[in-house]
Amino acid sequence: MLRSLFLFDMTFWLYLAAFALYIAYVFARKPAMQMAAAGHPGGGVSFTTEGDQGWAVQIGQVATIITVFGWMVNTAALFTRAMERMQHSGTFAPWSNQFEAMAYVSWAIILGYVLLEFRYRIKTVGAFVVGIGFIAMGAASLLPYRYQTAEPLVPALNSYWIYIHVSVTLTSYAAFAMAGGLGVMYLFRERAERKGPVTGVMASLPDLETIDELGYKAIMIGFPMLAFGIILGAMWANYAWGGYWSWDPKETWSLIVWLIYGAYIHARMTRGWGGHRAAIYAVFGFLMVIFCFWGVNFLLSGLHAYA
Amino acid sequence: MNGKSEALNGRSGPQAAPKPASGIGWNEVKAELVEFFSSIKLAMFLFLIIAVAATIGTVIQQNERAEVYVKEYGEEAYRWFLRLGWTDIYHTWYFTSLLALLCINSLTCFYQRFPGIWRSMHQDKVSVNLPFIKNLKQTTEMSVAGTKEGVSKGIVQYLAEKGYMVLAKNEPGEATLYATKGIMGRVGAHMAHLSATVIVLGGLIGSLYGFQEFGVCLEGQTYHIPKGSFDLRIDKFWIDYHENGSVKSYNSILTVLEQGQEKVTKTITVNDPLVYKGIWFYQSSYGDAWDQVDVARVNVKDKKTDKILQTVDLQWKKEATLDKLGLKIMLADFVADFGFNSNEKKVYSKSVEHENPAIKLEMAEHTKKSALEATPWIFYHYPDLFDIPGSQYRFELVGYQPRKFTGLQITRDPGVTIVWIGSTMIVVGISLSSFIYHRRLWFKVIPDKQGVTVHMGGTTHKNQIDFNKEFRKLTERIKTINA
Repeated sequence: MLRSLFLFDMTFWLYLAAFALYIAYVFARKPAMQMAAAGHPGGGVSFTTEGDQGWAVQIGQVATIITVFGWMVNTAALFTRAMERMQHSGTFAPWSNQFEAMAYVSWAIILGYVLLEFRYRIKTVGAFVVGIGFIAMGAASLLPYRYQTAEPLVPALNSYWIYIHVSVTLTSYAAFAMAGGLGVMYLFRERAERKGPVTGVMASLPDLETIDELGYKAIMIGFPMLAFGIILGAMWANYAWGGYWSWDPKETWSLIVWLIYGAYIHARMTRGWGGHRAAIYAVFGFLMVIFCFWGVNFLLSGLHAYA
Repeated sequence: MNGKSEALNGRSGPQAAPKPASGIGWNEVKAELVEFFSSIKLAMFLFLIIAVAATIGTVIQQNERAEVYVKEYGEEAYRWFLRLGWTDIYHTWYFTSLLALLCINSLTCFYQRFPGIWRSMHQDKVSVNLPFIKNLKQTTEMSVAGTKEGVSKGIVQYLAEKGYMVLAKNEPGEATLYATKGIMGRVGAHMAHLSATVIVLGGLIGSLYGFQEFGVCLEGQTYHIPKGSFDLRIDKFWIDYHENGSVKSYNSILTVLEQGQEKVTKTITVNDPLVYKGIWFYQSSYGDAWDQVDVARVNVKDKKTDKILQTVDLQWKKEATLDKLGLKIMLADFVADFGFNSNEKKVYSKSVEHENPAIKLEMAEHTKKSALEATPWIFYHYPDLFDIPGSQYRFELVGYQPRKFTGLQITRDPGVTIVWIGSTMIVVGISLSSFIYHRRLWFKVIPDKQGVTVHMGGTTHKNQIDFNKEFRKLTERIKTINA
């Protein structure tokens, strides 16, 4: 137990360091690099990442290395916890209570971010998204100690469904967290743009259209995953509770969240819906996810009250 | 109306031909209705309003007793809850109507848009003119060395390698190409639209033809299941514990009997029900029976000296003979929470809690000094409450072992398979539409003095970012197609 808790703790500090470094990176970046869309005919979308100079290069590299290292420690922590669970409770899913679920969500957020960074070469997103991963890990470690240990599972949870239902649902939360972070980033940059030509720190953020599209993409990943997660939950409920749907607060809230993002996906199909409104909506959606994940467990009673 | 239908119907595309206008007739009304019911705005409205209604149902506890609401919210608020149906919101007429509207919405959308997609999979989209290409969202032109045929062939080959479906038209003076990929993304969206109705249909069938009951079953008893025309015997109930004392699992061994013949025996646990002839038996709860015990331990005391003469464990409804004391006693009845109905002169258990347990003895006393028969109630908490007139003895209930019951949920839901079909459709459909995006490209290859000019344009209905990248890569590639 102590070994995994030590690793979780280490993950927390590494994410904190990575978060700080990404913020430093945003500030260190030589702003106002006018790598306008010159070379890209017809495209408003451009990537202004290649132009880092001076300190920004080093800080950016260190930030990435620390993030990847932190993620590896996070992986090791989850793995160790799985082993400990195996000894204590006979199942190994390292997402069997609120604490482990949070640690897993951080893991998924950071993994998503690292993939995004490697694919699109935009490091400034880290200042927002790694921040959420860090906060998730931090919130987990604030839970009382008795929530952090690997207690044996109650009979209702003791099933192979826990491996897939919980992990899929939590991964969708991570995608929505990513979209929420990007939404905040959009609003930051947009505010700066409203005041006139973007200079200074804000200029080092990617342009609005890129942030908007990335946020949309994150939701497009989260949306089918949440649907899958809810349906896996329904299948499990059909085995454990005697019905696939019983309007339990948790399942209802996951449906609410899904409906909220469903409205978003449809809105994006209409012309001109995006940008500012989408960013605010993504932040709102993420707040709803947080309520579904935390609020329901602590505020509403129901069949999911396992925390 | 919106971006999606625009792209689908190709209003700006080659087939854009406005219908001749006429007076208001059925067709116009129908078109208006279809337009309204298939609109994305209605979909968004329904999504959000259902979300709001569902939220109300999670904030206000559902199907509670009236006292609970009155205590928490006050009487006036409770009256409003009743009026609005908020104590059981998921079964109100308006919630059901919202679900029905959602089905109508998605079905109409399917009806209106799917045929267009179907056609576009087979249709000739290659007859376009140059201004059409230049008006697309992504567009570029470049000079390439080579002949019209050679460059066209190169582009077709490259696109085919990338998984595009390509149509080409070679005319004197110009060649036109049309390439498309990812139509499954659109098909997926409509699969998801159909799934809503399938799931609701499954739920409806379940609520019409299914049932859900709760059975309190005692070990060793056999119960008739009328809806399945078979019997169920509960062989055993027990609880397994973890090392630290927390519960590991609740288990019951059930045997299905048909005309006295044993058919199936299965140990059910919380996550592992028994399924027989479409009826599911779930381990749902357990508890101590409130009207039966297995064993009761009774002290027989001398009334005068208050000395314990004998301690005896009485089995349920089995007579015990105490020869030395000249006693025959039987444990005839038990209640967990003693209550007496003075009208019917009946003893009953006020609750299922073991608040005031009592046993009834049937006794026959034949000694030198006394001879009597009696049926006294002996109270666990009040040992001296009733005296048995004429008897030499007093009885004291020291303890008892209540019979455990297992709580079984008994369910049949013929709609569940349909729900799973709908679920598969929704997951596959949304995944297709999220991860595959439909993109279309048009090219005109026009010969000039140096070689050819390639005009290229493309659109996508989403994922602009990846499409832009692909478009740029394609441009680079075509520039050097003959190099």
